[in-house]
Amino acid sequence: MSDWVSYYRSEGAEEEDDEQEEGAEAVVEHKFAGRDSLIFLVDASKAMFESYENEEVFTPFDMTMQCIRNVYTSKIISSDRDLLSVVFYGTEKNKNSADFKRVYVLQELDNPGAKRVLELDKYRGDQGQILFRDTFGHSADYSLGEALWACSNLFSDVRVRMSHKRIMLFTNEDNPHANDSAKAKLARTRAGDLRDTGIILDLMHLKKPGGFDISLFYRDIINIAEDEDLGIQPHESGKLEHLMKKVRAKETKKRALVRLNLYLSKDLSLTVGVYSLLQKAYKPYPVKLYRETNEPIKTKTRMFNGKTGSLLLPSDTKRAQMYGNRQIVLEKEETEELKRFDLPGLVLIGFKPLSVLKQHHYIRPSQFVYPEEALVKGSTTLFNALLMKCLEREVLALCRYTPRRNTPPRFVALVPQEEELDEQKVQIAPPGFHLIFLPYADDKRKVDFTEKVPANREQVDKMKEIIQKLRFKYRTDSFENPVLQQHFRNLEALALDMMEPEQAEDLTMPKAEEMSRRLGNLVEEFKQLVYPPDYDPDRRAVKRKQGDGDGQTEKKPKTEISRDELRSHVQKGTLDSKTHFNMSKKTE
Amino acid sequence: IFKKKKKILSIWRQKNQSFLLTAIVLCLDVGFAMGNAAPGEESPLEQAKKVMTKFLQRQVFAESKDEVAVVLFGTEGTRNDLASGDQYQNITVHRSLMLPDFDLLEDIQNVIQPGSEQADFLDAIIVCMDLLQKETIGKKYEKRHIELFTDLSSPVSEDQLEIIIANLKKTGILLQFFLPFPVDADDGGGGTSASAHSHVHRNSFARKGITEQQKEGIHVVKKLMHTLDEEGGLEEIYTFRESLERLSMFKKMERRPVAWPCQLTIGSNLSIRIVAYKSLTEEKVKKTWTVVDAKTLRKDDVQKETVYCLNDDDETEIQKDDTIQGFRYGSDIVPFSKVDEEQMKYKTEAKCFSVLGFSRSCQIQRQYYMGNQVLKVFAAKDDENAAVAFSALIHALAELKVVAIVRYAFDRRCNPQIGVAFPYIKDAYECLIYVQLPYMEDLRQYMFSSLKNNKKYIPTEDQLSAIDSLIDSMNLVYEDDDGESFEDLFKPSKIPNPHFQRLYQCLQHKAFYPNEPLPPIEPHLLEMLEMPCVVKERCQAPLEKVKALFPLKDVGKKKEDKTAQDIFKDNNEGGPNPKKPKAEDEEGGFSIISIAEGNVTSVSIFLQIFFLSQQLTNRIDQFLENKGSQYYMKGINCIKVFREEAIKLSKVQCFNDFLQALKSKVEDKALADFWEIVMQDRISLITKDEAEGSLVTSEEAEKVYIYFFNEHLFV
Repeated sequence: MSDWVSYYRSEGAEEEDDEQEEGAEAVVEHKFAGRDSLIFLVDASKAMFESYENEEVFTPFDMTMQCIRNVYTSKIISSDRDLLSVVFYGTEKNKNSADFKRVYVLQELDNPGAKRVLELDKYRGDQGQILFRDTFGHSADYSLGEALWACSNLFSDVRVRMSHKRIMLFTNEDNPHANDSAKAKLARTRAGDLRDTGIILDLMHLKKPGGFDISLFYRDIINIAEDEDLGIQPHESGKLEHLMKKVRAKETKKRALVRLNLYLSKDLSLTVGVYSLLQKAYKPYPVKLYRETNEPIKTKTRMFNGKTGSLLLPSDTKRAQMYGNRQIVLEKEETEELKRFDLPGLVLIGFKPLSVLKQHHYIRPSQFVYPEEALVKGSTTLFNALLMKCLEREVLALCRYTPRRNTPPRFVALVPQEEELDEQKVQIAPPGFHLIFLPYADDKRKVDFTEKVPANREQVDKMKEIIQKLRFKYRTDSFENPVLQQHFRNLEALALDMMEPEQAEDLTMPKAEEMSRRLGNLVEEFKQLVYPPDYDPDRRAVKRKQGDGDGQTEKKPKTEISRDELRSHVQKGTLDSKTHFNMSKKTE
Repeated sequence: IFKKKKKILSIWRQKNQSFLLTAIVLCLDVGFAMGNAAPGEESPLEQAKKVMTKFLQRQVFAESKDEVAVVLFGTEGTRNDLASGDQYQNITVHRSLMLPDFDLLEDIQNVIQPGSEQADFLDAIIVCMDLLQKETIGKKYEKRHIELFTDLSSPVSEDQLEIIIANLKKTGILLQFFLPFPVDADDGGGGTSASAHSHVHRNSFARKGITEQQKEGIHVVKKLMHTLDEEGGLEEIYTFRESLERLSMFKKMERRPVAWPCQLTIGSNLSIRIVAYKSLTEEKVKKTWTVVDAKTLRKDDVQKETVYCLNDDDETEIQKDDTIQGFRYGSDIVPFSKVDEEQMKYKTEAKCFSVLGFSRSCQIQRQYYMGNQVLKVFAAKDDENAAVAFSALIHALAELKVVAIVRYAFDRRCNPQIGVAFPYIKDAYECLIYVQLPYMEDLRQYMFSSLKNNKKYIPTEDQLSAIDSLIDSMNLVYEDDDGESFEDLFKPSKIPNPHFQRLYQCLQHKAFYPNEPLPPIEPHLLEMLEMPCVVKERCQAPLEKVKALFPLKDVGKKKEDKTAQDIFKDNNEGGPNPKKPKAEDEEGGFSIISIAEGNVTSVSIFLQIFFLSQQLTNRIDQFLENKGSQYYMKGINCIKVFREEAIKLSKVQCFNDFLQALKSKVEDKALADFWEIVMQDRISLITKDEAEGSLVTSEEAEKVYIYFFNEHLFV
């Protein structure tokens, strides 16, 4: 039986081979390192439910819940294996394994899921606050130490292995136990216990009248992860955006794609970790379910000899390519070996001014390099010296990069990045080197360029006016992926038996009306300058849907799904909630 | 989803596979001089064959549809259409125009040998032209090439030069020369960047010992190429060496770029007709490996079967028809059929290149580029109105230093992208360059500890200045004397991907010798990937300094990534591993790490002091101040060990400098007795004979020694 199993190869393995080149290695460590876990510990005392300034739409509590919901939905998209939990303290009611008063565990540590998101949504907005008060009530007579204790219990109740444990504490009270030194002491003790057991405790402090003073109490409570020390605390958050930024920076445990040596010469090297700060988010693979029960099934692929029917072990096969009528055969190992040039590492070739790096020499997403002190002590200082000097002299380090053993080398530019903080003292650019992949000669293609016909001054100036009207500040997080958003909203609707999916605004579509309004007559003026009266740039367009009218509005993708359509999905039985197979961590 | 994506990708690929068909004549001199080689070097013929092999491998394994003919000159026999009487003798059409194959590769490797005759290369060109004319009749070739490989040793008659030039111009046949030496060694001229490149690597084909005959040949070649194309002609003359290093030399044989016509829109009322091309994308190996049965080597004998079973203890098998598709939504698994998914999914509607707005160019940082390609966007062809409108946009963007943020969809089956389009203005053309930008979901907002706010990691002034000198010494880009142009010693974008060359080498080897193991990587391939020699020499001393000033200690927790690798990567340890022995050598020797780990003799501790701060000199000074023989001995020991280690670690210059510096101190402090010991122990400069890095001869060393000795006598 066990032999039989080993002959199977999981379905799609071959396809994945391709992808593995791309960066699937990121997942490798993840699978084996255990789960990340994160508890949101939320102050539920009255002050959290009062707006700080009248013009501020959200109360601190509301902001917190939005933020948590945001983390939940983004975890569902990016890392649905992580464990999340929500705990309130300062409530009238209590619910926790140790029966501490004023501590209410709303959700234990588990994967994020549709129902949990729905539950969080109940406590948002004015209605939500009322519901919260009616359900849990408020009380100032809490002990933060006990709340931390309850959190610590949640971690120990989980059976699966956890690689990273973190508590995010949301509050706008900077001195909770000002008049109760015993409680203050207990809180400090518990915080110390957390630190000793490797649990990170972050303070997500929110704005309060008179400002939030960390030195009063929290300085001794918080426990900053060793690899996230900015040497400075971020400011308190008064806006959702700020709070989100702080939370985002810490919600995912950073993981190196690979740790390797950076060789300055053959016998002089330091160690660095290579990270990816960009990771293309794809629609996940579908899973196969058994029609009768909707339970997930396993697929196995086995290889056998077509003639004899006997099973083939991987060693019973070789790899081949045909050229003309000649077949060339290699051992599987040889197909790997021929990709091997170097041991993994970054090998310094030399330095070049940053200005020689061509803006358009791009082939794949950049990575990020940061020193790894744990392998070779002293790496960080040497790294920092290189970074400081490269920044000062505006040079890049050209390296030969072999990320893994059987990977042919590529040349990369290490471009220095100085640490940047925003006004709230949240890190927006970490210190280190961006690793920019450079093309080989084969990667460049000659293109058949169109002869230029230079525009005159008047034409250029008119275009400048147009441009000035349509300026905005680009931010990397300005655009959501409409394809992914739609997919997950469809799933959410199906999972929650909603009548129709929530409609996501497609931010990638041009805002035609707003643009027309801003541009006024400029477009007509420009056209008169560059196009003859009878010129129609659309004339040769292959398939023009409608000849006249404002074509742009018709181009909007049809994202809505009619009520009827959805109803038919429901009727087909695909939406029956009873058949949902709930995956629980405890089954593992 | 992924199948679909693949399908679309394969459509792209198919389109891209429409090549520019080219007819190529490889015209090789096999005259007797081609077989002559300087000791320890390959003959020009061997070198030429290597270049031809590399080129043909690319053609064969990339399954190019270009056809190749081979003409040899200097052969004993004669076989060509023009031969009559004493005309066009010793020129052989070895192979007519056809697809290159393994037979041709085998011929080049084994059959083609140096001849005993010689022939005029201009005659050979005429034979090639004749062949191209006759054999391309009725076939459609976009380009015709003659690639001439010769050492120019045979007599050449210029009579027909004018006719050749006129004919080449008329027929549009392109001519490229490949020679064993550069033609522009002393008088400047074309191909400067190419020759600079070969300079920095080992250039064994320098222009030495060139005969009068060859000089005349060079003269004719230059005249020919210059008349053909006044500007670029001379750049079509290459050395064997640089063509090996940069197969991109054959740049005129490239795939045809696929045009993507569309309209650039700004708002709903302004559109400009455009056309876009992929200008950069990672070129991948075209063919994938198929699985074959190890015994029969047949693909059909390997069959696959997929079984579906429940996740229960018995692994109950079920039928495929009983399965439906679902997706995870966090902890939930939602049944979601393909039909439903298709119906409810986001629809792209149509291809587009729509401007969403404009942003300051500094707001788009290149580390945020996404995707796997760069597009160059031009105005549509043959549409002057579009060209003017597009030019206005490009220049307006450039002058304002802004970029366009664009929604781009290749076609309605593809997902839309957000990207940046920025202006790119060259003398010959202008365009927009488009690169994809991330979606919010693609960002990983990791936080890293501050490096400047942690005192532990702040380097000292000394350390920083050591890095300064390292950067100086490893600088790869020189400003030319005129202060305007740059010379770049190492341009990765000129290097062909070594993976392809290695793959082709292995494929050819396995085609000819199926049962042998893979051949070793060719040295020139490895050399191509190394730091330029000049830089390597220059940076030795600064590297030593860095090494001395930055203590690095291996904490030895490497296990971690090994496990991950072992699980996922090939576990085979048997294959040859060229780097491994080196690493072991290093471990066997002395290393700064072993000092830092404290398993050292007392003498090495002093060494460490030296390495860390270069204060051995001071320390010895201290010993000498004390003027006692026990201190002298310590000092002498230090110097001795230093000397030994300096040789082992190629830090010769450090030691020699140190010893020279010590000389002046001896003078100042009248340390006759100390020098007596130095003399007795015969400690002197490290000589050339002892270590590679030294420039000191043994006579010179002796001189210094005597010099010391004399000093002593004066005291």
